[in-house]
Amino acid sequence: MTLLEIEEVRGGYAEVDILNGISLTLQKGEILTVAGTNGAGKSTLAKAIVGLLPRVQGRIVFEGADMAPLPTEARIARGIGYVPQVANVFGSLSILENLQVVVGVKDQGQRIAELFEVFPLLSQRKRTRAGSLSGGERQQLAFARALMTRPRLMILDEPTAALAPAKVADAFELIHRLPNLGVSVLVVEQRARQSLAISDRGCILDGGQVALAGDAASLLADDRAAELYLGRATHG
Amino acid sequence: MFYAQLLVNGLVQGLVIGLAALSITLVFGIARFPNAATGDFMTFGAYSALSAHKVTGSIAMGGLAAIIATGVISLLAYLAVFRRLAERSVVALLVASIGIAFFIRAVLGVAFGHSQQVFQVPLSRPYVFGSVRITPLDLQLALVALAALALVFAILYLTPIGRQMRAVADNRDLARVSGIRPDRVMIALWLLAGSVAGVAGMMLGIKTIVTPEFGWEMLLPAFTAAILGGIGSPVGAVVAGLILGVVQEVSTPLVGFTYKIALAFIIMLAVLLIRPRGLFGRVEGAR
Repeated sequence: MTLLEIEEVRGGYAEVDILNGISLTLQKGEILTVAGTNGAGKSTLAKAIVGLLPRVQGRIVFEGADMAPLPTEARIARGIGYVPQVANVFGSLSILENLQVVVGVKDQGQRIAELFEVFPLLSQRKRTRAGSLSGGERQQLAFARALMTRPRLMILDEPTAALAPAKVADAFELIHRLPNLGVSVLVVEQRARQSLAISDRGCILDGGQVALAGDAASLLADDRAAELYLGRATHG
Repeated sequence: MFYAQLLVNGLVQGLVIGLAALSITLVFGIARFPNAATGDFMTFGAYSALSAHKVTGSIAMGGLAAIIATGVISLLAYLAVFRRLAERSVVALLVASIGIAFFIRAVLGVAFGHSQQVFQVPLSRPYVFGSVRITPLDLQLALVALAALALVFAILYLTPIGRQMRAVADNRDLARVSGIRPDRVMIALWLLAGSVAGVAGMMLGIKTIVTPEFGWEMLLPAFTAAILGGIGSPVGAVVAGLILGVVQEVSTPLVGFTYKIALAFIIMLAVLLIRPRGLFGRVEGAR
């Protein structure tokens, strides 16, 4: 079943288009990696899906409903969660307040308790100001905040970018677990090989267009993808 | 002991400045522009309180009128002007707020005239502590200011809409992807900022005389306190207001009544040069 359908999406911030006609689909229960070089339009695509891009043309359909007329907060209410690359927690609010502030959550207290079970570290430090957290802790809080609304789709923009190398594997492990929680994932990643390794499918952008798309395993084995976008696998 | 008296006077004056600075810093933190109409919101609050006091004879009713009327006029300014300019530059919003300030002042001038008006408050014997005299009126005003501050901080830190306001102040885009509707937050912000300015205006009116210009003249100390406290920091605004009020009063014997307002300007310049983020301000991170 198709959860998200993006059709000929174009757009950008000022007059120049960064997205130049992107089409892709995401099926329910799958993880889709969107990779590509710097400036390929990966993060811009993520913002277009959640309605944070000022100028967008084309169709973005989520669970059969056109998202175009909806503001960001209405898209979130429809079941999309989003974790931005930077500034992904409210630094001046406590951990608990970061979760309490999310709007449209049924049984808020119960939901927070559920997420504290998934992220026990957050529970232990719930009165701590989010601005004082380490990169890994901050990333956990960003995931928990986005999961508050029980989204069916999570858009993750470079979730490992601000992490210490030792924490990267933990982040991918967490992303890998999301479909078990009923959450499909579109993850924008620079660490394309590691991300494809936990994904069902992949899509590589170049110049605001889809350059390559297919099964994650096929992309990892594709010589052209390796040569141009993924880099050679390192061994040992 | 003379200076102890000035200290007490300064604390009461500082509460007025702190409330005005709180209104400025709330708007700056969330709507992201310096609202030059704050002083005239204060004037509007003072005239609203004055009118209600004349009709009812009750200071409490005057305060209620100031809170409601100034909250409403502030919200109208947002709905009619600031909301339409929300995507424009800070300069455009600042100029618009100056325009609203002039408009309010002109309307008040036409409606009430330009002569000085005073609250007819009965004289009462001051409480004497050593050589420090505190009038019951000052004590009541201080309690009103503290109650207003407590209410504002309770709203900001203990209610869902307060958390949402702080979230929007922290990161507007992240607030939107957390399902927060900015328009609802803005309505709450302008009601709150207007009401706080209204209370400050009423207090200032009771302490001094009311003219259509008197709020505008408070703008410099209020902005100084907002900057000194760290722009966007509600706690900082109040603390800085108290510091500024005390400094102005205590310095009066040295610089004279006329020039004490210049101290605010000197403090503002010094803070901008030495510690631009103020006492409680955060260093802005890259976003």
